[in-house]
Amino acid sequence: MDLISIVQQVESSPIGEWMRTSLKAMPVVESIHVMAVAVVFGTILIVDSRLLGLLDKRRPYSVISAELLPWTWAAFVVAVVTGLLMFSANATTYYENTPFRLKMLALVAAGLNMAVFHLFSARHAAEWEFAKSAPLGGRIAAGLSIAIWTSVIFLGRWIGFTKGYDFAIPEDVELDFDFLDISFNYLRGMTEELIARVG
Amino acid sequence: MLQFAEWLQATPFSVAIQSAGWAIPLIQSIHILMIGVVFVSILMVALRVLELVRVEQTFGDVWRRFAPWIWSGLVVMAVTGLLLVIAEPVREFTSLSFWLKMALIVVGIVGTIAFRRSLAPAALTQHHEFEFSAATKAGAVATLGLWLAIIFLGRAIAYDVEVWGSLSLVASFAG
Repeated sequence: MDLISIVQQVESSPIGEWMRTSLKAMPVVESIHVMAVAVVFGTILIVDSRLLGLLDKRRPYSVISAELLPWTWAAFVVAVVTGLLMFSANATTYYENTPFRLKMLALVAAGLNMAVFHLFSARHAAEWEFAKSAPLGGRIAAGLSIAIWTSVIFLGRWIGFTKGYDFAIPEDVELDFDFLDISFNYLRGMTEELIARVG
Repeated sequence: MLQFAEWLQATPFSVAIQSAGWAIPLIQSIHILMIGVVFVSILMVALRVLELVRVEQTFGDVWRRFAPWIWSGLVVMAVTGLLLVIAEPVREFTSLSFWLKMALIVVGIVGTIAFRRSLAPAALTQHHEFEFSAATKAGAVATLGLWLAIIFLGRAIAYDVEVWGSLSLVASFAG
């Protein structure tokens, strides 16, 4: 069975039907999603700040991660469950939605970043966890983690503005803005300015 | 109130935010990032009161670690929140969730300041010798519930009629 038919089945499932027709389901599920995302992001930020040597420098990394990661994982599970519920309401629309696809890619990137960190830097945590910051590899992983999770939140919010509902659309607003295009243009402008200055 | 909202919504600054399609999602995203920072900082302080995290640190150390993040995060949320109100005042002012959210934020901030002021020096400087009273621990749990309710109400602004039904202000303003 291919992916699109699974997506169609999800949308036509009783759960998808309930998410679409129940008035209160969407706001309640969305709020719980925001709460879970907040806990995921906030706890990860504390662990990453420690790896970067910005905060909690005197607390060993293993203590901080053991204390926080259960909260991160529990909240992540809640975020996935509520995310799936929201997805089921309009699965075929989300499946085609660019910010949604990019968000899924960003989540994969976050997972890969974490896997690499655990395979390399975290393995030798005993050697550096009392140091002020993690070795370069750990600091890079922490910086990437903050950047990726920030983009996950941005992309998540963007989905809500591109799927059509949950937003009273004023007539003169350009809604079909291509944020990739906007970002590229912005980067191009910055690069050109930089080249102009250097040259 | 509705007249004021309509006037505000027609001001050039409000129109500028509304007509840049990326502005509102961008401001909302920053608002959500700050919810993560502030809520987890409050969670850590509350969990320290409950002696579930950072028991080897004094409460004073934990408070000094997280309080700057709570207050500066709240300032960023106030600024981004204000921008969202300026951009869509009618949507906010006609929402019961918005007004309940504002009221609960006042309760949360006043409560946090009152809690910090009521702390005896021993609470801040001692670790193992000092234990918070059962009432303070219950207060820590209640505080978490309060901020979760604030997060819920924030999201519920977009669904005022769905959440509140006939209590929703949208209907009374429209009528």
